[in-house]
Order: sequence, then C-alpha cells, then structure tokens
Amino acid sequence: MSKITTPNGFTLDNSGRRVAVDPVTRIEGHLRIEVNVDGGNVIRNAVSAGTMWRGLENILQGRDPRDAWAFVQRICGVCTGVHALASVRSVEDALSLPIPDNANLIRNIMHLTLFVHDHLVHFYHLHALDWVDVVSALSASPKATSELAQSISRWPSSSPGYFADVQAKIKRMVSSGQLGPFRNGYWGHPAYKLPAEANLMAVAHYIEALNFQREIVKIQAVFGGKNPHPMWLVGGSPSPINVHGAGGVGAINVERLALVADVAQRTHDFVSQVYIPDLLAIASYYKDWFKLGDGLASKNLMSYGEFPSKANDQSNASLRLPRGVILGGDLSRIHEVDLKDPSQIQEFVPHSWYKYGDEKAGLHPWDGRTDLDFRLGPKTKQSGDKIEALDEEAKYSYVKAPRWKGHAMEVGPLARLVIAYANGDRRIKELVDGALKKLDLPLPALFSTLGRTAARGLETQWAAEQLIGEIGQLVANIKAGNSATANTDKWEPKTWPDTARGAGYCEAPRGALGHWIDIRQGRIANYQCVVPTTWNASPRDGAGAIGAYEASLLGVPMANPSKPLEILRVIHSFDPCLACATH
Amino acid sequence: MKRPTTFDVLQERGISRRDFLGFCALAATWMGLGPQGGAAIAHALETKPRIPVLWLHGLECTCCSESFLRSSHPQASDIVTSLVSLDYDDTIMAAAGDQAEAIVEEIIRDYRGSYILAVEGNIPLANDGMACIVGGRPFKHQFDDAARHAKAIIAWGTCASSGCVQAAKPNPTQATPVHKLIKNVPVINVPGCPPIAEVMTGVIAYILTYDRLPELDNQLRPKMFYSQRVHDKCYRRAHFDAGQFVERWDDEGARQGWCLYKMGCRGPTTYNACASMGWNDGVSFPIKSGHGCIGCSEEGFWDRGPFYERLPDMQQWGIESNADKVALAGAAALGAAIAVQSAATVVKRVVTGKAYDKDSDDSPTS
Amino acid sequence: MANGFVPYHRMPEHKLVPSVRVYGPGVRLWHWANATMVIVLCITGYFIGVPPPSILGDASSSYVMGWIRFLHLAAGYLFALLSVYRLWLVFTERGIAHHLYLPAIWRKAWSDGFFRQIRWNLLLDGPVRYVGLNPLANVAMFFMFLLPGLAVIITGFAMYAEVVGHDSWQYFWFGWVTHIFGNTLDLHIIHRLAMWVMVWFMMAHIYIAVREDILSRQTVISTMLSGERQFRD
Ligand code: HEM
Ligand code: HEM
Ligand code: NFV
Ligand code: SF4
Ligand code: SF4
Ligand code: F3S
Ligand SMILES: [Mg+2]
Repeated sequence: MSKITTPNGFTLDNSGRRVAVDPVTRIEGHLRIEVNVDGGNVIRNAVSAGTMWRGLENILQGRDPRDAWAFVQRICGVCTGVHALASVRSVEDALSLPIPDNANLIRNIMHLTLFVHDHLVHFYHLHALDWVDVVSALSASPKATSELAQSISRWPSSSPGYFADVQAKIKRMVSSGQLGPFRNGYWGHPAYKLPAEANLMAVAHYIEALNFQREIVKIQAVFGGKNPHPMWLVGGSPSPINVHGAGGVGAINVERLALVADVAQRTHDFVSQVYIPDLLAIASYYKDWFKLGDGLASKNLMSYGEFPSKANDQSNASLRLPRGVILGGDLSRIHEVDLKDPSQIQEFVPHSWYKYGDEKAGLHPWDGRTDLDFRLGPKTKQSGDKIEALDEEAKYSYVKAPRWKGHAMEVGPLARLVIAYANGDRRIKELVDGALKKLDLPLPALFSTLGRTAARGLETQWAAEQLIGEIGQLVANIKAGNSATANTDKWEPKTWPDTARGAGYCEAPRGALGHWIDIRQGRIANYQCVVPTTWNASPRDGAGAIGAYEASLLGVPMANPSKPLEILRVIHSFDPCLACATH
Repeated sequence: MKRPTTFDVLQERGISRRDFLGFCALAATWMGLGPQGGAAIAHALETKPRIPVLWLHGLECTCCSESFLRSSHPQASDIVTSLVSLDYDDTIMAAAGDQAEAIVEEIIRDYRGSYILAVEGNIPLANDGMACIVGGRPFKHQFDDAARHAKAIIAWGTCASSGCVQAAKPNPTQATPVHKLIKNVPVINVPGCPPIAEVMTGVIAYILTYDRLPELDNQLRPKMFYSQRVHDKCYRRAHFDAGQFVERWDDEGARQGWCLYKMGCRGPTTYNACASMGWNDGVSFPIKSGHGCIGCSEEGFWDRGPFYERLPDMQQWGIESNADKVALAGAAALGAAIAVQSAATVVKRVVTGKAYDKDSDDSPTS
Repeated sequence: MANGFVPYHRMPEHKLVPSVRVYGPGVRLWHWANATMVIVLCITGYFIGVPPPSILGDASSSYVMGWIRFLHLAAGYLFALLSVYRLWLVFTERGIAHHLYLPAIWRKAWSDGFFRQIRWNLLLDGPVRYVGLNPLANVAMFFMFLLPGLAVIITGFAMYAEVVGHDSWQYFWFGWVTHIFGNTLDLHIIHRLAMWVMVWFMMAHIYIAVREDILSRQTVISTMLSGERQFRD
C-alpha cells in the first residue's frame, strides 16, 4: 500500500515502523490500536480494531420484545442503561405506544445521572492518568498545592494537611513496591507537563471522585432499583408514584424525592467545584493538545438529540440537545437525521469480521445482519499464538463501519455541543464560550483531543444543571396531581399487530445510539444496534474511508513509540467502549 | 524490605485506628461473622502484606467492575489502594499494551501460587477463542496462564459463574464459565449481573481476614451471601402471603408496594442478598423500586423468560410454549377423545343394539 | 382377605364366575386418601403458580397465599407418606396390590390383554373381564401417575428445601436436584408439568372407571370400595 489518500481526505502511509497497543487500557472492553510512525515518530497510518464479540443481536432473535431492554443493557455496564433506554423506545416506537409525562421525566433524570457519572469517572479514572504523573506528585509542596487548589475553586477539602495526607498515602504505596493500578505506568514520560502541585491536586481528586461517584448513581437506584443495570419498563417506568396515600413505601415518595434532590445538588457542586476547575487547570498546561487529534471532528459530526422536554416528542422543539448532522465542517447548516430512512444510516462490513450477501452494499439496520466471518487477512503478521500486526487491507475488526449517507461520522459530547452551539442554544454557548475564553482559545480548538475532553466536562456541567431542573419538574408534576408512570394499554402481546418495526434513539454519553427492532407475531424477528463507539471506532469501509479513531491519530507526534502515551491521550479523548461497539 | 501491611497503608492514608476498627466491625457485620469477626479482620489486616490481584476481562460488559467500584464498606478507593494490590485490571490500570501484559507475567513469576485471579466475563471457545483477543492472543491463553498458578480464582458475576447473556441461546461464541475450564485451582463463583458491590468486596475481605476461602455451596457460591432467596428476605413478602399482588403496572397495588409475583418476579427462585443488603449503600433493590427480580444471579436466567410471566417459556428445552399452555392442549385433546369415544359407543349401541358382541368366542388363552 | 399374590389373568367371557377379593382395606383406604390429596394438591398447586385475584385490605388481615401454600405443603407431605405406605402394602396386603408397580408385561396374557383392551377402546371389539388391573390402565397409571408422582415428590421436596433453607434435611436429601438444573425455576416448571400429566390421568381414569363399570360386566368402582371384583353377565 505505502501511501494512499482516503475518500474522506486523509493520507495514509504504512511504510514506517509499526507499533501496536493491545490492550488499550482504561477504556471499556477490548481495543487494539496499531499505527505506523515515520522517521520523526509522527503517526502516518492508524488501524483501530475491536477484538471482542458476543453476538447479542443474534441472541435476541425470537425473544419477547418487552425483555429486550434487559439483554441489550448488558451490552455495557459502563454506560449502563443507555441500551435499555434505546430498546424500550424502539419497542414503543414499533407499537406507537406513548409514555406518560412522569415516565419521560424519570427517564431523563436517570439518563442525566448517567451522563454526569460516566463523564466524571471517565475524566478522573480513565483519562486523567494520561495527563497526570502520579509519581511526580510525590515532590509537590502540600502548601503550594493548597494555594493552587484554593485559587481555582472554593471546594472545602483543600488544606495543606489534606494534600499532605494524600501525598503520604501515595508515598507509602510507591515505597511498598506494590503500586497496584499505578504499576508500570508511563511515569516520567516527557509528555507529562503538569507541575508537581497540579499532579498532587489531581491525584487527590482522583481518590475523592472515586469515593464520590458511588453517590451519584443512587439516583438511578431510587428509580431503577440498582446501579449498574437498573430496571426499565416498556411503556413507562417501573417505579410508581405514591406521595400522598397509604403504603407508599417502595414507590416514589417524599423521602425518595428528597434523597434524589440532595444527591443531585451535591453532584452539581462536585462537578462545578472540582471537575470543571480541574479540567480547565490541567488543560491550560497542555494547550498544544487543542491542536492534535482532530480527525473527523472538524468535518462530520452527528447527534440524534436527547432529553425530550415533552414526552413522546422527538422534534428539535422538544429535544434539549438537538438532533442533526454537520457535514464538511459547515456549522451554518444542520442536516436532518432520520433513523428510519433506509438511505441514511447504513452499516458496511468489508473490513469487519462479518459477511453480507453483497460485501459492497450497506444495510440499513432494519435489514441488518450480523453473521460472523472471522478470518485474518493474508498479510497478518503472527508469532506463535500472538498477532503482531493486523492486515488492514482485509477484515480486521469486530466493529462494523456505520455511515450516514455514506459519510463516516464522529459522535459524542463534542458533536452534541457543537450541534447545540450551531443551533444557537444559549446555555451551551455560554458554557463553551466561557471555557474558551478562560483558556484563551478560538472555537476551532474544540476540534482536537482536549477539545473532546473539554466538551465532555462542559456537558457534565450542563447535565448536572438539567438534572436539578428535571427533578423539580417531576415534583411540580406530582404536585399538580399527575402521578401516572406507565402506559399498559399495549402490555399484552396479543394487543400488538402481527408485524411492527421501530427505531429507538438515544444520545449515550459516548454519542449517537440507535436500536432497530422488527417484531413479528409478538417476537423479535430482527434486532440491530448501531452504537456510538461503532461510529467512532469504525474500521474502513469498502471505499476506504476511515473512521474517527483512525483519522484522529494521523499526524500526532510521539516522543517514544514504545511508550504510547500520546496514542492513549487521543483515543481516550473519545472515551472508547468496545463492548458497546461490537456487542 | 518488610512489606507494609494493609493497616500500615491505611494508617499512612490518614485513617485512624478507631476508623479502622469501625470499618472492620462493619465488614464483619456484613459478612455475618458476629461480634468477634471485627477483631479477627483487624488482626489480619494489621499483619499481612497485600495480596496481588490480577483482574482479567473476557466476554463481559464491565459492569461487574463498575459495581465493585460502588462499594461503600469498604470504600472502593480503600480496596484498590490499600486492601489488596490490584496490579492488573484493564479498566483502571495506568499501563497499556506490552507494559500491561508484562504485569501478568511478573505476577505469575513473583507470586506463584499466592496471588488471586479475578475473572470478569467468560471465555469464548468457538473459533479457537478468537471472539476475545487480548494482547494479540486469544483471551483463553491469557486466562490459562494466569489461572494455572493462582491461589484461588474469583469468578465475578453471572458471566464468569455460569455464562450470562452471551451464553444465552444460541451462545454464538461458545462462551464458557470459569469453573468449567479449571481443574486444580479453587473457584469461587460470585454471581449476579452484576453482583452487589459489598458482596464482591466482602468475599475479598473474608479471604484476606481468615486466610481461607469462604464456605461454598454446590454451585461454588459463598454460602454467606447466596444461601437464601430474594423472596425469603423480601419486604413485600407479607403481601405475597396475604395474596395481594400487583396486577398491572402502576395500578393501586403497585403504588401500595404489593407483591410482584404476578408480574413475573423471580425472587422465589433467586439466590442473592439483594433483599437483605440492598444496593448502592442500601438505597434500594429492584423490587423496592417496583420492578420484579429477573433472577440475575441464577444460572441460565436469560433463557427463562419472558421476565414478566410467572410461568416462563420452556425455551431452554426447545419448546416455545409454557407449562399451562401445553397442559391445556393436552387436556383438550383428551377431552375430545373421551367425547368421541362416548359418542361412538352410544351410536354403536343404537345401531347394533349392543355395545359388544357377546357371542364372539374370545376366551382367555392362559 | 386376600393373603396371597393374585396373578394377572383374564376371566372367561361367558361364564358366571365367583367374585375375587382383589384389594385389601389398606389399598382401598389409600386410594381414596390419595385421591383426596392429589385433588387438594392440584388445586392449591395451581393457585401457587397462578394466584387468585388480589384481596384488598390490610396485609395482616389475610393470609390467602399462606394458607394455600400451607395446605399444599401439608398435603404434599401426606401424599409422600401415603406413597410409602402404598409401597409397603404390596408386601402386607398381597391381592393385586403389586400390579400397580409391576405390570406383568412378560406374560402373554397381559400383552394380549393390553392389545385387546386397545381394540375395545377403539370399539373394534367387546370389553374384557379381568382379575387384576386392566393392562391399558396399568400402563397409564405407571406413566401418568407413578412417574409424575415420583417427579412431584422429588422436585417438591427440592423446592421445599428452598423454603426451609440450605441447612435443612430437605436440602441435604434433595439439594442435588436443584444442582442438576442450576436454576430452580426449572423445578417449578417440571413440578407443574407433572401436575398436568396427573390431571390428564384423572380425567381419563375417572371416565374409564365409570365406563368400564357400565360396559365391562364386572364391578370396577365398587371394587375400590369393597375390595371384591364381581362378575356379571
Ligand atoms: C400430586 C402431587 C402434587 C401436585 C399436583 C403439585 C402441584 C404443584 C404446583 C402446580 C405447584 C406450583 C408450581 C409453580 O407454578 O410454581 C406446586 C408448588 C409446590 N409444591 Fe407441589 N404438587 C404436588 C406434590 C407436592 C409434594 C409431594 C411436595 C413436597 C412436599 C410439593 C411441594 C411443593 C412446593 C414446595 C411448591 C412451591 C411452593 C412455592 O413456590 O411457594 N408438592 N405444586
Ligand atoms: C374420584 C374419583 C375416582 C374414582 C371413581 C376412582 C376409581 C377407581 C377404581 C374403580 C379403581 C380400581 C380399578 C380396578 O380395580 O381396576 C381405581 C384404582 C386406582 N385409582 Fe382411582 N378413582 C378416582 C380417583 C383417583 C385419583 C384422583 C387418583 C390419583 C391420581 C386415582 C388413582 C388410582 C390408582 C393409582 C389406582 C390403582 C390402585 C391400585 O391398584 O393400587 N384414582 N380408581
Ligand atoms: N451506547 C453506548 Fe456506550 C458506547 N459506545 C456509551 O456511551 O459505552 Ni459502554
Ligand atoms: S455478569 Fe452481567 S454485569 Fe457482570 S459482566 Fe456479565 S453481563 Fe456484565
Ligand atoms: S415481590 Fe417477589 S420476592 Fe418479593 S415477595 Fe413478591 S414474589 Fe417474593
Ligand atoms: S434481578 Fe438481580 S439484582 Fe437482585 S433482586 Fe433479582 S437478583
Ligand atoms: Mg450492531
């Protein structure tokens, strides 16, 4: 191959040294990244392979559509619930079953809770160590760290003593020789730029966030019984409301609502006083990363929209985050997305380990197939049982290649924010402009590695605010005498038509998620999921167009290809979820 | 160099002895160890170096990790940084690629026979195990290497214990639970999809404290957490006994917190601690939030649907119908046969004047 | 009182033969006690699986499922004990008490009778007189009463072990059953299916008992009351 230009305008050159990162850790699931670097250690070719597959779409065939949410929820436990939500929506769409207002609010509350939780955990526990050198924190002055912390936030845990304690803990761990999860990290790597004090502050908050994140999900536990993997219901929400009457224990009552409101407020405070200040502080030391890792971001972005303010209304008038596509970087035009139009969303498999009757054709998910066809290409390099290099000219990933009207898309918080921004959303504009101003960066800086990371943080702030609003709305609804939570008109399969097809949308933390269901005689005839990470981690399509991960790595310089910290930075900025991507 | 004990580490982390003993007592209560339990845990944590833990991921959804991180007593951060040495876990470890894989080899080399292997998810055997590739090799190989020299294996979740969702019919990847592939190393199954956080950490704390594996039942589950059904401890049980059931979602019974049996609740056939321990620091559990139990800790629960029918499909036996439907069809066929025979007998009697031929010579032969 | 085993044999078609004592008081008592238990178990068992409509009011004032389950479990114990008693009667009461467990399929008379009985039921031939259990009924009893009876006892006690806990004798003796299936929901389904097989049996059994009594020139129902098989012309 050597040098080629892809239809979506990228130049690939696989002549240089090949480097593989497998497993890519601090993500969900099993991802392998291979790159070729040129003489100057700049990435010139990138290959992204999902290396695990379970076959859930096939397992669903023949089952009761009302059970589907529970199966697909197990696609992923990190973005727990999003598949369940897309699933119940797909069934409700197929049956034209409207849900009550309260159910819509409860779903919004659960989903916003997930946004905040997932993003927060991603920032501190999956992404921070790409920027924060734990070992360097040992040489920080606790007093200076305290001053730094107090200069950026009024969060109360910020005394010199507090940071000294944290430092002592890390010291103890390092000197014990048992580093646990910090073992074999890239400590001391030249790409780490934070001063020791910022490192110490971040490590302290790593631990604090680990302890706090379990509080956030209590909101989901109230409405869904547990987290991860709360309970859902086709037609509404399983948790009934009984605020005034007898026997209201076990339903949503005044105590439960108080718990939820309290957690939401504390969550909001943690986000605005810890997460956002940390994000801006760390980002300010890595401004070069607002230029690296763009890929598809400045070109094609897509969002299905989310958080209907009116139940059963998925028009942009109702969706709090709008639906749409931005094509070729033209922010002045938002294209409409229709999940049911067979010519819009299609999946291709020429480079995926599946077979289609016609390998060149794309299939709309209603007609989608997931027939396994695992074979390594002829140019695969292996030693013993180990794959050294994949053959990207053949099939090389369990991820399919989804395309919107033939275009590869980037999805995720950045896409959502940019589309909302372009749509003129006031609060989003305020958040984005505010952050850019603080960092003294222009709008296009968003189309980058740290742009994605920043967008995720800003979205968390937005979601934490919305969460408080939606809880208030639920209380107001109940106060107004509205307590219905489920529509059972079509609960019994005998009330269904012989055949019905539906599409369920959802903006998951990682981006646009769709589930397509085909129901025949009360059973699932076909079920297909096209998942955020399926879009972003997409392998090449038949024409050779590359997906978001592969595109974003091109042109990124590495200090030392054997210590692939830069690859982790770029890829982590997407918050990969491979169990989702392949399912 | 003397390896610091867990308590040393906790102390350095600013945890006072009083807090520490408090934690031990709490942990003991959760494990049902009685008043002396706390002291025993404290003693163990004060005197032993941290056990290395390798946490491998096969075919899974990472939800078991997520649940683990939600543990309240002990807190997740304490476990990861102080109670054990979680040296390999692809979800949170700093290292990646070759440097990550090297850790598995190092631990096997340095702690042969004394590290714990935790497995989340299960092992696909189809296609030479290539439905899950880690470090360029089939996950099966990584698993075999790490399992062979482990002190014990903890199979997290229903995936590792009995197969879970990817092993549901038709199990396209031949996903296989841990215990079916292990011969000489003890396996502890901690089922649940996912398991309750404090059950997960409780199992680890027990092993650390007593230096032995918990007592297991015949499905290899720790008896202390899995010997009673959700139904046995369910706070809605009084409504079950009284015959008060939710008949439709959001009906008056639902609002009053009646029993979810008729909505398909699997509590009566599910062994788990949900109803007694609760989830997320005791905030709730599925039934408390109005949805029946789907039996997520039971073997093969995915193939016992629909989850909303008290009598599931007999899909696992290759039949689509449920028991009562089969019965009704049988009874109808039988009824029809009886009717036909009676009618024919009457007709014959009317036609021939008798029901049988008295004159035919049909004497017994013996 | 029949004090020897009465082997299976057919009676001549035309002669008036003396009556034969086929069931002792134990079997007769067992039969009706057993019939009562089975009916109680079917009714209560049915409602355990598909409970009756909900009862309004305070939970503490009613105990509907509690009683249904109590009756079921109590009757289940009795049913199991009666089954042991019935086995014991084979040795103590003789007569034809062993026919139920040991159909004389190796005897030509039995197998001839079996096919003859099928012909009669298809109305291709006349009815037959026997000393002993009618061979067709005998087979039905084996497959539709004895085997499902064993199944409900085994799965019943295995489920009982769930009620009383894993340190109970029920678990000690029947815990292995649970282990075979992994998921105890299967026990409920098997138990319930077995019930339906017994319901089919009862439908056929009672119908045939009445039919034979009318048509086959021998006592059938009263035999189970008096123990005597009488032959008419
Ligand atoms: C003729 C004999 C029997 C019949 C027809 C019968 C029928 C049934 C039925 C239909 C169920 C409900 C199954 C379900 O849908 O979950 C049931 C449950 C049960 N039966 Fe039986 N049964 C019989 C004998 C026994 C015996 C001998 C025992 C042992 C003591 C027993 C113990 C149980 C238990 C423990 C349950 C479960 C109760 C519960 O889930 O609360 N049964 N039976
Ligand atoms: C309530 C109506 C019933 C009637 C009228 C009835 C009648 C009879 C009669 C007449 C016999 C004797 C057959 C013979 O001597 O050839 C018999 C035997 C038998 N019946 Fe029933 N029966 C009834 C209910 C049941 C029930 C509910 C069961 C159990 C499911 C049952 C199980 C049996 C068995 C196992 C025998 C064989 C007895 C032996 O040889 O030990 N019967 N029944
Ligand atoms: N849907 C979904 Fe996902 C993905 N990709 C979501 O945010 O992570 Ni587990
Ligand atoms: S057991 Fe359930 S929760 Fe755990 S990894 Fe498997 S699917 Fe996820
Ligand atoms: S809700 Fe479920 S577990 Fe609770 S009493 Fe009813 S059937 Fe049992
Ligand atoms: S569904 Fe699972 S979480 Fe508990 S209540 Fe049932 S075992
Ligand atoms: Mg798919």
